[in-house]
Amino acid sequence: MVGLSVGEQHFLKGGIAQDLRADGRKRLTYRPIYVETGVIPQANGSARVKIGGTDVIASVKAEIGRPSSLQPDKGKVAVFIDCSPTAEPTFGGRGGEELSSELALALQKCLLGGKSGAGAGIDLSSLLIKEGRVCWDLYIDGLVISSDGNLLDALSAAIKAALTNTAIPKVQVSAEMADDEQPEIDISDEEYQQFDTSSVPVIITLTKVGAHYIVDATAEEESQMSSAVSISVNRVGHICGLTKRGGSGLDPSVILDMISVAKHLSESLMNKLDSEISAAEACEDEDLLKCKRAGTLLTRLISFLYSIVSGSLFKVKKHNKLHEDCDILGGEMRIEVMRSAKI
Amino acid sequence: MVMRKLQLRLNQTQKVRFERAMERLQSPGNSVIVTESIPVNHEDAFLKGHGTSEVGGELLATVCGVVDRVDKLVYVRTLRARYKPEVHDIVVSRVIEVAQSHWRVELNFSQDGVLKLSSMNISDAVQKRRTSVDELNMRNIFVEDDVVCAEVGSFQRDGSLQLQARSHKYGKLDKGQLLKVDPYLVKRSNNHFHYIESLGIDLILGRNGFIWVGEHVQVRDPMAVDDEMISSYTYNTRKGQSHTPFETRQSILRIGNAIRVLSNLGFTVTLEVIMETVNLSNTKNIDIHDMLGSEFHVLIAENEAKRRSA
Repeated sequence: MVGLSVGEQHFLKGGIAQDLRADGRKRLTYRPIYVETGVIPQANGSARVKIGGTDVIASVKAEIGRPSSLQPDKGKVAVFIDCSPTAEPTFGGRGGEELSSELALALQKCLLGGKSGAGAGIDLSSLLIKEGRVCWDLYIDGLVISSDGNLLDALSAAIKAALTNTAIPKVQVSAEMADDEQPEIDISDEEYQQFDTSSVPVIITLTKVGAHYIVDATAEEESQMSSAVSISVNRVGHICGLTKRGGSGLDPSVILDMISVAKHLSESLMNKLDSEISAAEACEDEDLLKCKRAGTLLTRLISFLYSIVSGSLFKVKKHNKLHEDCDILGGEMRIEVMRSAKI
Repeated sequence: MVMRKLQLRLNQTQKVRFERAMERLQSPGNSVIVTESIPVNHEDAFLKGHGTSEVGGELLATVCGVVDRVDKLVYVRTLRARYKPEVHDIVVSRVIEVAQSHWRVELNFSQDGVLKLSSMNISDAVQKRRTSVDELNMRNIFVEDDVVCAEVGSFQRDGSLQLQARSHKYGKLDKGQLLKVDPYLVKRSNNHFHYIESLGIDLILGRNGFIWVGEHVQVRDPMAVDDEMISSYTYNTRKGQSHTPFETRQSILRIGNAIRVLSNLGFTVTLEVIMETVNLSNTKNIDIHDMLGSEFHVLIAENEAKRRSA
């Protein structure tokens, strides 16, 4: 983080007070958002979102697992975030851990709701295969490649896009087994079901600088903040989660005002995101079609290698399914490439 | 000119227009990639400069860039390199550290620059010896993170870079914003300090790629008294300071965004080009934030192509 001189700080705060920020935006204007889906073909779903200088990738991997005994009728979802040292040198080693866990917790709370599963953005019962025995485990990984403020909003947008891009294979449970045995399951290679993301919320972060608050702060603006409130709103306009960061306290009326502003902004943001995501998916389909027409294994190999390179950005972690997949290259390569082309 | 990859979403017509403009701007045969052979007449004696190496009788490029020839020297100039300082260059820098009798500044060079207290002209024209009182008061002049404009003085024997700020046009910059572009986009010219009278804005093009755009500050009277100088740098004045007037702020932001657009497109940044860009945005009634959009980028690319062919 580069520091700002007193004069520059004054200029920044003055701009926010006059509703004219450093790049000409108004207080409640977002930077242009770019979405790319399907960036990691080995994952079930992936997306890359760029908001100004902030660049994040989210991926979704689905694995067969056993539902927890407390909630036998629901699948499981886990969210992990990694801040790469390419974003900030301070993120190297253990530097980014605090920020990563804070982001992961905020995202988990807003996507999955409470302990009982109430208010979850993702319908966990749709992940169930056989009650009490087999379910899908979703591992959502986020990677911050470049950080220029507003990480939480970018990550939530990337996760929403990745979930829209996710295709979970259809599963057929074979003949009834005894209660204590694992049933045989047949994972289809051909048929997939798209994930329903209409109820996934988006996060809007409002940063308070001086006496005003702004949306989509850059890293410089964030360095001048007194506090920030991140509100996750779903399509219906319900608040799914709320997080407050920053040292200074806020009057309750300010928080209520922020909530109403966030609700108002969420509509336009949702619509913008949805149109970007569908444009990105259309782009991706076009690319795949071109691949098919080219007809060679080579082009698919190249896209696969690209995904390996982007996959190698992930550190090795216990729950990081992407890296494991990269390790299993060898004999499964060809099959994986065929599958990813979704013939 | 090597084509850059733009991080913008262009629709079909915009893509076509952009590519057409870029084609007209490409200088043929000048740019090389690694291991490409540099066309050179082997009969003339030539000197192999940076970024070249002779392999098997041919001269190959070892870096990606543009081939430059100066008399008999043939070398490859890379584009995204760090700033390479030359004496008497004007640079804009940020203070990183306040050390004993000097400040360490960051200049986008491989090393930090050093601004000695004795190279600063605090008071009147008469150079006086720096006393220990001056050393203790260093923090009253520049603190960490301050933006300072200076001139490259000399290279020390150990390779470090000395800066000097002897004239009154150098010194601390505030009431504005600092922009960063690639150093090769700021070419050496007669004047790097521009005062745009119609807008009341100071524009300083640092050769290290740091550009300062801010409210106009009157150059201080060289005959002013010592104490006044020192006290004017203290922070008490900050609290009572008014904000930049709205019109000036708009102009500062327009110029800032114009510089960002030019930097994205890889065009050389000079006062004429910047003012042309700003005037174009004004005549087309483009909102300040929309200047960073794809339509404006395409417009500027076309404009530049027209300007160069004219």
